[in-house]
This record gives sequence, structure tokens and C-alpha cells, in this order.
Amino acid sequence: MSSAQPHAPLRPATAVPHSAAAAVRGRFALPLTRDKADTLLLLVAALMVLAPHAAHLPLWISALAGVTLLWRAAITWLGKRMPPVWLLVPVALAAMAGVYLSFRTLLGRDAGVAMLVLLLAFKLLEMHARRDLFVVIFLSFFVLLTSFLYSQTIPAALYVAVALVVLLTAQLSFQYTGAVPPLRQRLRTSLKLCLLAAPLALLMFVGFPRIQGPLWGLPGDALGGKTGLSDTMAPGTLSALAQSDEVAFRVRFLDRAPTQQQLYWRSIVLGDYDGRTWTRVPRKRGLQRLEIAIQARGQPVRYETILEASNTRWLALLELAAPHVQLPGHRLRDSDEMELYTVDPIERRLRYQASAYLDVTLQAGEQPARMARWLELPAGFNPRTLALAQQLRARWPDAGAAELSKAVLARFHTPGYRYTLEPPLLGRDAVDDFLFGSQAGFCEHYAGAYVVLMRAMGVAARVVTGYQGGERNPVDGYYTVRQSDAHAWAEIWTTETGWQRVDPTAAVAPERIERSLARALPRPSGFGLAPLLDLQNDPDSWLAQLRYNYAALNNSWNQWVLDYNPDRQRSFLEELGAAFGNWRTALGAALAAALLWALRWRRARQPADPLDGLYSAFCRQQARHGFARQPSEGPRSYAARLRAMPASEEKHAAMDQFLHLYGMLKYGAGGTESRTASLATLNTLLRLCR
Amino acid sequence: MVAALQALYRKGRDQWLFQLREAEPGTVTLTNRRVFIVPTRAGMAFAVLLLVMLIGALNYSLGLGFALTFFAGACAVADMYLTAKNLALLQLAPGRAQPVFAGEEAQFELHLLNRSKQDRYAVWLGFQADGEPRQVTDVAAGGSSAVLLTARSSERGWLAAPRVRLVTRFPLGLFRAWAYWRPDAKVLVYPAPELPAPALPSSGAASEDGHGTVGLDNFAGIRSYQPGDPLKHLAWRQIARHDPALGGQLVSKHFEGGAVAELCLDFAALPLTMDLEQKLARMASWVLQAEQRALPYSFRLAQHDYGPALGDAHRAACLRALALFGKEGR
Repeated sequence: MSSAQPHAPLRPATAVPHSAAAAVRGRFALPLTRDKADTLLLLVAALMVLAPHAAHLPLWISALAGVTLLWRAAITWLGKRMPPVWLLVPVALAAMAGVYLSFRTLLGRDAGVAMLVLLLAFKLLEMHARRDLFVVIFLSFFVLLTSFLYSQTIPAALYVAVALVVLLTAQLSFQYTGAVPPLRQRLRTSLKLCLLAAPLALLMFVGFPRIQGPLWGLPGDALGGKTGLSDTMAPGTLSALAQSDEVAFRVRFLDRAPTQQQLYWRSIVLGDYDGRTWTRVPRKRGLQRLEIAIQARGQPVRYETILEASNTRWLALLELAAPHVQLPGHRLRDSDEMELYTVDPIERRLRYQASAYLDVTLQAGEQPARMARWLELPAGFNPRTLALAQQLRARWPDAGAAELSKAVLARFHTPGYRYTLEPPLLGRDAVDDFLFGSQAGFCEHYAGAYVVLMRAMGVAARVVTGYQGGERNPVDGYYTVRQSDAHAWAEIWTTETGWQRVDPTAAVAPERIERSLARALPRPSGFGLAPLLDLQNDPDSWLAQLRYNYAALNNSWNQWVLDYNPDRQRSFLEELGAAFGNWRTALGAALAAALLWALRWRRARQPADPLDGLYSAFCRQQARHGFARQPSEGPRSYAARLRAMPASEEKHAAMDQFLHLYGMLKYGAGGTESRTASLATLNTLLRLCR
Repeated sequence: MVAALQALYRKGRDQWLFQLREAEPGTVTLTNRRVFIVPTRAGMAFAVLLLVMLIGALNYSLGLGFALTFFAGACAVADMYLTAKNLALLQLAPGRAQPVFAGEEAQFELHLLNRSKQDRYAVWLGFQADGEPRQVTDVAAGGSSAVLLTARSSERGWLAAPRVRLVTRFPLGLFRAWAYWRPDAKVLVYPAPELPAPALPSSGAASEDGHGTVGLDNFAGIRSYQPGDPLKHLAWRQIARHDPALGGQLVSKHFEGGAVAELCLDFAALPLTMDLEQKLARMASWVLQAEQRALPYSFRLAQHDYGPALGDAHRAACLRALALFGKEGR
């Protein structure tokens, strides 16, 4: 069998211009052939797919992929031949070796993504058959997915959506066999496809049974760049963390929210000091745990936390936490110091509910002998500080811990002390240097010096690190606690009152506790425009409002899109079930469905051909005048009978013309191009026949 | 045994599942029930890709990864819907078909009508027996498109159009929708003329009633051209005088009498030793030769007895009689 109507060749021959200049002009003047246009569109799609990876890939890989795309574009544009396999294979092998040299492995997440990116770029140079086209497109889909390993923000999602539409358009463009509609119409077609797909995708997203990953051990670099509190404290550890604007966790209070001054998020308690670094008090193996006496007063504060992945094991809980916290997928441990920590590092965002008692007496009436460990100080360090402690002690020989503490805080309150993120370096006797030298420090300096002083005066004391404060977003009521809210404070113990929180930083920078750090400290200058753009200090400015709205959006995004895990799914579907259990909702849904169905049915009843619709409208019109069309009547005989109708000349002419035109269109071999115009004429005539 | 079972299975599948049926008269609408769809090889690969993407999203707990995977899957489903819709409710009608000689390509004209508001792109057509269709067409919204399909004719008589398969993979190529249609069209296949062409019968019974009115021997004047007049009879001298562009007409020379009036193609006069098809082939060849040489001929075949004449209508009638000889009842 031969084709009697061979379709147009894909590459129409073009005239060969004589000079190079003419060639260029000719190329720009000529519309691109279909093949070229399709390939260039595919290249644009591939570029859009690869672009987000440039942010994290080594420069040479981005450059190589870019050059490959350009090469392919040039080949397409100039109509040259593809590079031969013997050229491509060594280049590909060299690129693989390069990936190995860069990453020191070929497995792992980053190396894998780099390989995929290069594979996609090279595959574009090795595209011969229709099958290769699908390979390129499918690879692009996967590379799009891998971009989410690095960023899952709302802008990233929007970008991927746009790239997806372009990719689908490219795929679509290759499917045309005859006339190809303009790019705009093709984009509309693929957009329509996406709109069709959206409800189903949403349904699958919500309802598809989720399993908590990972399915197997993740490569070591799977979770990079996560920060959190460290379980030691030396001068500089917290101030380094405080530079980070990253979100540590978000909190929503289920009932009434505590005041800003009450928001102490306790993570780690540090008791061992070696003269420079504070570390946790190790618990001896086999030692029986103490009975901790806790007296709580008042109603607990209930709240829900969405904890960001930190790669550490420490939770930050509002002081003082009730110990029953449920953490999905994690085993929890608690310590005598009222810390809560997980057995495995927290590698993904977690959501949990907890409650806290704001008014608590902890370990009151404990035997003082058991508190000896909170009095230890390293020998041979900070002699001047010890001397100061003796001095203070001697000045108030009868004073209790509270008075002594007040005296120390009063000292910090003198004008000489400054609160700064960039304190000068301290020497071997760090506390001496701080108290008698620089007098400039961050919360860790103040808390550390305070505890050393208190211990030197014979008061059991310890350092607590965690976060303080949090910024309330008026849009959704969530408090955002950032790494920059990391804080260190102290606790002192007396027999009567038990452990009590003392925040030495409050003495030197009270605004730090009342508001969040970002506003308490002047930003380090030297960032050029940064201070000008820093409008955070005015919560009422429209920019701040915008920021709040964006933060709220981001928070819902995190909860509903990024962290839609098995638990979330279960609770959501239960809520949904409950909502539909309600008869009113069910009735509403049933009514909506019925309405939709009725609309569809109505539409299905309408004749598909507008011509038939016009004709039946005409017949209905004349039936009202008593001249219903007989089922056996054709337009011509109907027209003959209609002539008997008592009506104006004009109407008769219009009726005749209508039926004549209808007959022509329906039964004649009229060209399609005049059809729309004729339908318009019929419409006008129909109005005249009324 | 196995072959028989296979044949039985195939028959059952074709009749029940694919609803293969005999020729349907008039315009046929491809209802949804008549459109079938399966994933293409690319579609299968896409399914594997979706699985890989799902595993990736699961392993790295990528919320957006899930979103992308589900969206890609939903796009494939939407593609399935659009592919089926690209074929469903398409209206099909057979067009005209010209007679051919046995062994020639019979051409069937098929019309595709699109009554929907959506353009239909890349609809492939071909006869089922020919494997993957090779003809492709677009049908604009509210428009129609005509396609010529060719089938080799082997035997004289009526050649019914074989079953047509319509296939589309539009828009994304992940699915292949197809439908079957047996157009109610047939082509008359004339017997293949005998080759090399045998000489025309020189004598015949026609001589006695040979008062031919039209002949070649004696020039009897000119008359206005009638379709079917041989080109070499055109009276060029007269035509040159009356420029057709100025309202002149073509004229042809008019002859009378002559021996050719006696040319009679009589089936019964053929030697008994020839078999039926050979005789028919010879008759067909004679008809063609006589037409070519513009010799009026009479034609006798069983109950068909056509007087001496010349021209397309006569030729068609004679060839039709030859084509259908002995096959009228079927």
C-alpha cells in the first residue's frame, strides 16, 4: 500500500543564499522550520529544568551543561550534523571522571544529581529517533524532581510548575503531524491539560496512602546545611548561631499565649566548666536516677510546635515542660535536668504537642549534698573572678542566694557592660577578661560569668541554653523562633525555692527579653543597604505586613505541602470524614453534584452542530405562529408551506433566505471557511423571522 | 489444536471486545464504546518513571516531590482522556470510489467530520490488514477532511472497502487510541485486460446490420464537439478560425460509414478452449483498444447486448458487464 497523500516533508528545502551575510539574513527572515522550532522549544524546556541546579552544582558542571545546550542549539539553528558517537563517548567519560573528582564518589545525592544533569545535557546531543525524545523528556521530569532536594519553597514550586508547562508543550509539539498551531495556542493546550490534571493530582496528593520514608539509608549528604544548638557552650558558639535567620521552630498556643518574657524554650542544661567550655554533666552509668520533686501551679499552657530539622537531638520546650510529649517516629529521653532529647538526630521537620507549667517549683527541699556537682569550678582559672566573689560574699555575709544574685546582676547593670554580637576575643581566663576587661559580650558571656560568680559564692548554679522569645505573626498566630533567638540563661538553686531561672542578659539588655533579638541589637553595619532595608523594627509598616503574610503562607505551605506525612494525612482525612458525616455538608455536596450533572445533561442535549441549533430555533419560532414543521418536511417544502403565513414581505423574504441558506449549508458542499460567516448571517435572519 | 484455540480467541476478542462489525451504511459516529485505548511503549516507560519518582519522593520525604509525581501522573490520565476524545464522536462517511482494473490500486475516499468544538490533530488511518496506519490527517473543529486509502485489487467484481483502523496518540503520545470502521463503500474492479493486447476481431456477424451511422471512412462535415469525441477528429482548421476565447466552440470532424461499424465484440464467438477469465480479459482488452482507436463497437455478453457505440458511458457499461459476469447474484 502506498500513501496517496504523502504528508509534507518535515524539512522543506530552503534556498541556499550566496554570501554568509545573506545566509544570516535569510535565516532570520525565514520562519523556522517545524523541526527546528520544536527542537529549540525542547532546548528551552531543558534549560529551564537545568537552571535551578546551577545554584548548587560545581561551576564546571553548570558550564559544561550550558555549553552542551548552546552547542545543540547551534546545531539545530545552522542545520549541522550531530556530533558522532566517538566524540561523545570520551567527553561523557571525562565528565563522569570529573564528577568523581569533584564529589569523591559517584553515588550519594549531590553526585547523583550532577550525573543526571550531565546525562540530560549529553542526551540532547544524541537525539535521533522519537524514542530519544521521550528519553529526554522523561529525564527532564526526574531532574525537575531532584531540584526539590535543594529547595522546596513556594517560588521554587511555582518555577517548577512553569517549567513543567513548557516541558509538556515541548512534548506536545512533537506530536503534531500536519499543521502546527502557533506556540501560544500550544501553550494553552498544555495549560488546559494541566488544569484537567490538577483536581486529580490534588486528590492523589491528599488521598494517596503515604508511607514514612526513607525506604533505605540515605546517603551521608542527604541532609546538609542544617543548624541547631550545640550541646556545649564556649564564647562565640551562640553568637555564631544568632547570625542565622533560619527558623528553628514555629509554635502555636492552643489556649492563651504567655507573655514574651515568659517564652524561655529550654533545650540543654550545662553544668561542667573547664575554664573555657561549658558541657553537660555526664550521667554515670548505673547510677539510680534522682526523684525529682516538682510542684506545678496553675493551668498548663498547651501548644503545638513544628520543629525544623536540626540534625541535633535536642527539643526546645517551653519552661517548664510537662514530660508527656509524643514525638512521631522518635524515641524520647529525659534527664534529671528537665531536658528532653531524642535518641536519633532530628532529620526532618516534626510536629508535636506539648504543655508547660509557667509557675513551677523544681527540686525544692532537696538535700544540699546532692547539689554539690552544681558548685564545682575548675581550679586555677579566673582568679580575679574568684576574688570578686569572695569580696561580694564578705560584703553580705548573711545574704541568701537571691540577694547575692541581685548584687551580681546589679554589677552587670552598670554602664560599663555592653551587649553585642561581636565581642572581642577573650584569653585563657575568659571570665576574668570579660568581667574586668572587655565587659562586652553576648548572652553566653553573661550567663557563664554569672554562674561562675554564683558558684564561687557557694550558690548552686547552672547554665541553660535554648531559645528565648519568638515573633508572633498576626496573620496566623504562629510564633516563629529563629536560630537568632538562641539564648543562654542561668538557674540558681536554694533549698526553699528550688531551681529558679535568672537571666543575666536581662540585666544588661532588657529589651532582648521583651522583644526578639533581631530588634534588640543594632545590626552590624557594613552591609551597605541592609540597615536601610531593615524595616523589621516597625511592625506596622506595610512591608512588615507583607512579610508576616508571606511567613504565614510559608508556614501553611510547610505544614500542608512539605510535611503532609502519614500522621497528617490520617488526621486530615478523619476531619474530612467528620465534616462529611455532617448532614448539611453531605446535602450541600449532593446538591452541587446534582447541579453539575444537570448542567452536563443540558449541554449534552444541545445539538453539537450550531447549524442544527439554529434550524430548530427557527422551527420553534414558526411553530409559535402555528406553522410547526412536520417531521417529514425538508427545508424546501417547509419554505413552500410557510409562504401561506400571513406576515410582512420582509419576514417572508427573511424566512425564504434562511431556509435557502440552511439547505445550502446542510446539504450543499459549501466550503468550511465561509461557514462561520454564514452562521452569523443565519443568526441575523433568525431575528428577522421572529 | 493450539492454533484453533488461538483463532477462536481472536474471533471472540474481535467480535465482543473490539465490536468488529460489517459495513455500516451512511455516516458513522465513533461512539465512546467504539474507541479503545492502551498505553504506548512511551506510556509504559512513563509509568516506570512515575514509580521511580514516587520512590525518590518517598525516600527523601519530598513533599513537593510527591506533588510533582502525582501531577505528572494526573497529566498522563488527562492525556488518556484527551487522546480518547481526539477520536471519540468523530463522524465517518465513505466518499466516491472510481472503478479500477484488477491488479491496480483501488482508491477509497473517506471523509472525517468533526462536529465538536475541538480541533482534532494527528488522526492516523489505514486498512486494518495493512498494519500500522500510514496516512495522517487533522480535522478542524466543525470541519471535515478527506483521506484517500488505497487497497490492491486482485479479482474482478465488487471490491468492498476493507476494515479501516483509526489511530491517534495526540496530545502527549503516552496513549494510543484506536477504533475500527468498515466503510460502506465498494469499488468495481474490471477484469485485467489481456496482455499483450490481442488483435481486434476483424470479422463478425455485425456486417449484415452494419448501416453504421458513425464511421471513419467518409468525411461528412463538421459538428460541434461533444465530450468523447477523439482528439484526432478535432477540426483544427475550423477551431483556429473561431477563437474559443472569443466565444468560438470546439468542432470536430464528422465521418460516416466504414467497415468499423462492423466491429462486434462477442463473448460467444471466442474460442471454446479459453477459460472464462481469459475470455473476459480479452474482451476487456478489446474494449479498451476500440475506445483508444475510436472504433464504434457493439458488445455482446450473455444477456448484455449493446449496440455499436463509442464513449465513456458505453465503455463503462461494457466493462461493468465484464466485471460482474457470473457474479451478479453475489
